[in-house]
Amino acid sequence: MTAGSLVALRDRLDRASPAFFRFRRLGPDRTLVTNLEGRWLVLSDADFEAYVTGAVARSSALYERLSDANFLRASWSEAKARDMIAKRKTFLGYGPNLHVFVVTLRCNETCVYCHASRADMDATHTDMTPEIAEKAVDLAFMSTSPTITLEFQGGEPLVRFDLVKHIIEYAEAKNETAKKTVELTMVSNLSLMDDDKLAYLLDHRVQICTSIDGPKDLHDKQRKLPSYSAYDAATRWIATINEAYAARGLDPTLYHVEALVTVTRAALERPKELVDTYAALGCRAMFLRPIDPFGFAGKTAKLVEYPRADYLRFYAEATDHILELNRGGTQILERYAAILLTKILRGEDPNFLDLRSPAGAGVSMLAYSYDGGVYTCDEGRMLAAQGDDTFRLGDVFTSTYRDLVGHPTVRAMVIASNLDSQPDCVDCTYNPYCGIQTTHNHKTQGSIFGRMRESSVCAVHKGIQDYLFGKLADGDPHVLEAFERWNTIRPREHFLHAPDDG
Amino acid sequence: MPPRSVRVGVQSPFPICYSVAVTTIEGFPEDLARLDVDARRAIVDLDASLYPVEALYGAAYVFIDRCYVLLDRPAPQKLRLVLTPKSLDGGEPAVRALVGELANELVSAAYRHQIAQENRARIEAVTMQAIAGAMGPPTLDDLEDFDFTDEAFEDPLGIALSWEEKYAKKAAPDAAPGEDAPEEEPA
Repeated sequence: MTAGSLVALRDRLDRASPAFFRFRRLGPDRTLVTNLEGRWLVLSDADFEAYVTGAVARSSALYERLSDANFLRASWSEAKARDMIAKRKTFLGYGPNLHVFVVTLRCNETCVYCHASRADMDATHTDMTPEIAEKAVDLAFMSTSPTITLEFQGGEPLVRFDLVKHIIEYAEAKNETAKKTVELTMVSNLSLMDDDKLAYLLDHRVQICTSIDGPKDLHDKQRKLPSYSAYDAATRWIATINEAYAARGLDPTLYHVEALVTVTRAALERPKELVDTYAALGCRAMFLRPIDPFGFAGKTAKLVEYPRADYLRFYAEATDHILELNRGGTQILERYAAILLTKILRGEDPNFLDLRSPAGAGVSMLAYSYDGGVYTCDEGRMLAAQGDDTFRLGDVFTSTYRDLVGHPTVRAMVIASNLDSQPDCVDCTYNPYCGIQTTHNHKTQGSIFGRMRESSVCAVHKGIQDYLFGKLADGDPHVLEAFERWNTIRPREHFLHAPDDG
Repeated sequence: MPPRSVRVGVQSPFPICYSVAVTTIEGFPEDLARLDVDARRAIVDLDASLYPVEALYGAAYVFIDRCYVLLDRPAPQKLRLVLTPKSLDGGEPAVRALVGELANELVSAAYRHQIAQENRARIEAVTMQAIAGAMGPPTLDDLEDFDFTDEAFEDPLGIALSWEEKYAKKAAPDAAPGEDAPEEEPA
């Protein structure tokens, strides 16, 4: 090589050589590239080859696209990268905002996969005491986060509605001096709801979330009440609560009961029916969560589990159907997609704790079990119910707030869930948007680090992002318009108990 | 293809037993992994230059709830892992699955070790920010528990003393100014 050709090569590399990027084939003639801060482009084979070989002409439209998105060495902007990374990681500056209260393990419903390992209705020893509840609220209010969410779970929290009320009133009184923004949510099967309870929850602006596992026959097969249909009980109250919101002048597109799906093997064959069920109930969102291995689901895996490739086929079919409904004017979104699209299209993190890096266990959430034990997360207490105390941080009686969030287990989980410390994730095209679950790794692979190539969570996350980027690359205007709407965060101000509410 | 079963004399990791029934494990090179049928354990040999010892510990540790795990160095450049399942359910297929999982965990742990070294600064910065952001500044109660004295901890053996402090030449009580005391030898 002559000196002249070396100079020409140097000039070419300076001008058009790639800055740091990761890539993934999406299909024929299209490759996704993402950079450090999560900007992305889909390139044709010719464009991709020109990019990686530094042969992009300066005057070309491709050069401009690459340069605008911070993919070229010559025009690489550290400030541009830094600002977007900072925007994506704003959650790092605050402590736990989600505080789960397991007010009892008792539940009147029997679910085939119960992740919480529910207890029988006479197991009153699994009830939280008011003293434990108050100490847990005290800890929650010590969080460095200016906004905290107190979430009532179980078992079935309506079994101990007296305690739920006590916690709400204790928290409201405490906030007169603490001056935080507080949200209250309850996860319930709704079957023990009555008019008085609902009136109280509405008056105290408690968000209500439930589970609908599919059409009536499927829901009732998986979630059994002793003497009547669990589906009828839940759907009756969904309608009543939504009507009550509307009666109070709340925008029905924003204020409605949220419902979650737990996708079991039986649901895999019925994606459209599942979506139609949600649409008919007036739900605006559905979260197509695959089944987890915690609680009874570990024992009933032979019945309820499935290969994740089957789940991804189900997911694509269900979400395609949701997009079709959107096209016809029915506004409903898929929650997994909305979380990821917020990261992909807005460059922001909606702070979904299981899908961020590092994950939120311990640093952004705490779970208070009925017996006063404090855990890194909901799954931590679920494992404890099965005799595995790995994720127990302490208890409400003897642990200080700083003991809990600074616990060595929390530090280990922060490191383990940092995608820049993980094989595969560190090189993955989806690194800027993804997250891993250390409790899932621990349960299924024996260590909090896990092996992502063999992880079912990784398979799901990769598969869903393949689907979403495929849709973005297809560029159907209806789909892009729906995706734009799904990633628009509309805060539900009515549910925020502001510091000056008094 | 069923595993080839041979009876050969090999030195067991447990020195009392010298003759064992050894069979290959389907899908694994026979010189690296084998099943000791009599002792119901799997033996995996590794090239020590390929796996940092940190990765070996990390990978081995993952199995201690299901197996008794023994580490050994049968030759200077060879590392050995012996997995003895605590439960004998599942027979040879279960042991094969364990060896496969161990092999994958070893690669994962070795690679993770390398990544942790390469990305140490970034990982530490994020971890520190996450923990510090959650903990916040210490309260007055926390500060009350802090030890602000110069004495960090009791140190009867003088471990925290510097070499100079511990072995410095001491002036003899009756030495004239400027005159060195006899030198004290390090222990």
